[in-house]
Amino acid sequence: MSKKAAQRSRAERAASVMAEQAARERRRNLTITAAVVGVVIVVLVVAFLASQAGDTSGDAAEAPNGVDGYAVPVGADDAPTTLTIFEDPQCPICRDFEDAVGDQLATAIEAGEVRVEYRIVSFLDDASPNEYSSRAANALMAVQDSAGPEAFAALHTTLFANQPEEGTEGPDDEQLVAWAVEAGATESDVRPLIEDGAFDQFVVNATDQMSRDGVTGTPTVLIDGEPAGDTPAATVQAVLELLA
Amino acid sequence: MTGWIGLLARLVTGGVWLVAGALKVTDPAGSVRAVRAYDLLPEALVQPVGYLLPALEILVGLLLLLGLLTRPAAVVSAVLFVAFIAGIGSAWSRGLQIDCGCFGGGGFDENAADDYPWEIARDVGLLALSVWLIARPRTRWSLDSVLFRRTA
Repeated sequence: MSKKAAQRSRAERAASVMAEQAARERRRNLTITAAVVGVVIVVLVVAFLASQAGDTSGDAAEAPNGVDGYAVPVGADDAPTTLTIFEDPQCPICRDFEDAVGDQLATAIEAGEVRVEYRIVSFLDDASPNEYSSRAANALMAVQDSAGPEAFAALHTTLFANQPEEGTEGPDDEQLVAWAVEAGATESDVRPLIEDGAFDQFVVNATDQMSRDGVTGTPTVLIDGEPAGDTPAATVQAVLELLA
Repeated sequence: MTGWIGLLARLVTGGVWLVAGALKVTDPAGSVRAVRAYDLLPEALVQPVGYLLPALEILVGLLLLLGLLTRPAAVVSAVLFVAFIAGIGSAWSRGLQIDCGCFGGGGFDENAADDYPWEIARDVGLLALSVWLIARPRTRWSLDSVLFRRTA
């Protein structure tokens, strides 16, 4: 073998080793990429299924006595005007709304001028360490179920007058039972409904239905089905003008 | 130097995705409501998107933080930011007063309109970092540089 030929064959061997190495590298890179992508897909599928299982919206729920769909009707059936009010018991702007119009509204309901359909929802459980929002919403439904709309309205007023600050512990079930009894419910009826969260699922479904109805937050007030105002201030003003 | 910029871009975008996803993943019903509040997707897609988005955000965040499949993760990140910028811009132009739901929450927010410019600016900044990573996916302290090391 000439010196030249030996050099060529060594170069060829080196090139083939490098090509093999490069091919191995490509295969290895592909394997790693496929494995990571596979894990990502599996995690997404599991997360989807877990979310689906964790979202109980729309599951079968017992409805409190006297509700109309998800609305608690308060006031005379033949009142000329109907207000629909979406509220979360923990929502501070709802408390501001109640502070501003609650007394006038109660007077107008009493006089048969206005009927209010309360749509009580709950999405602010994160605002208190003891999930005040959903417990308060359930308590309102428990009072409606066992004692009717007047007692509901009384507890509704009490709850907004005593709304806990966001980020603090809300009133416990014992306090809710006491207020429910003050509002006119019978303790032996209302206590188990409050302590067992009898209408928790109803409230979850009510919250889902609010979203499906295109209502994106609280307080939202409709006057005979039409939005009262774009901002909380405009809403208060529209309601006060209506009641004046 | 570009490697260090890339590391910073990874940590910032990845960290934001991880936090944003983690805050939403425990409340699927709330996530669905936040998606629906934009009133952009057909109802049939609202639930799947609401369920998948938080998990996707966490995954993209983890991949970017680890520097694993940096370029594909940055592509997904950029696509999501474009979608969010479009969504917030659309809500703004339609006069919707909704919390962007970026970090949980969502739905009506009294001061939503005041927040839209800042939210869009933030997302544009994060989009720019994602685009940087698409262009320069080789970064410092990344799993990519360990796993996909050239051996020849």
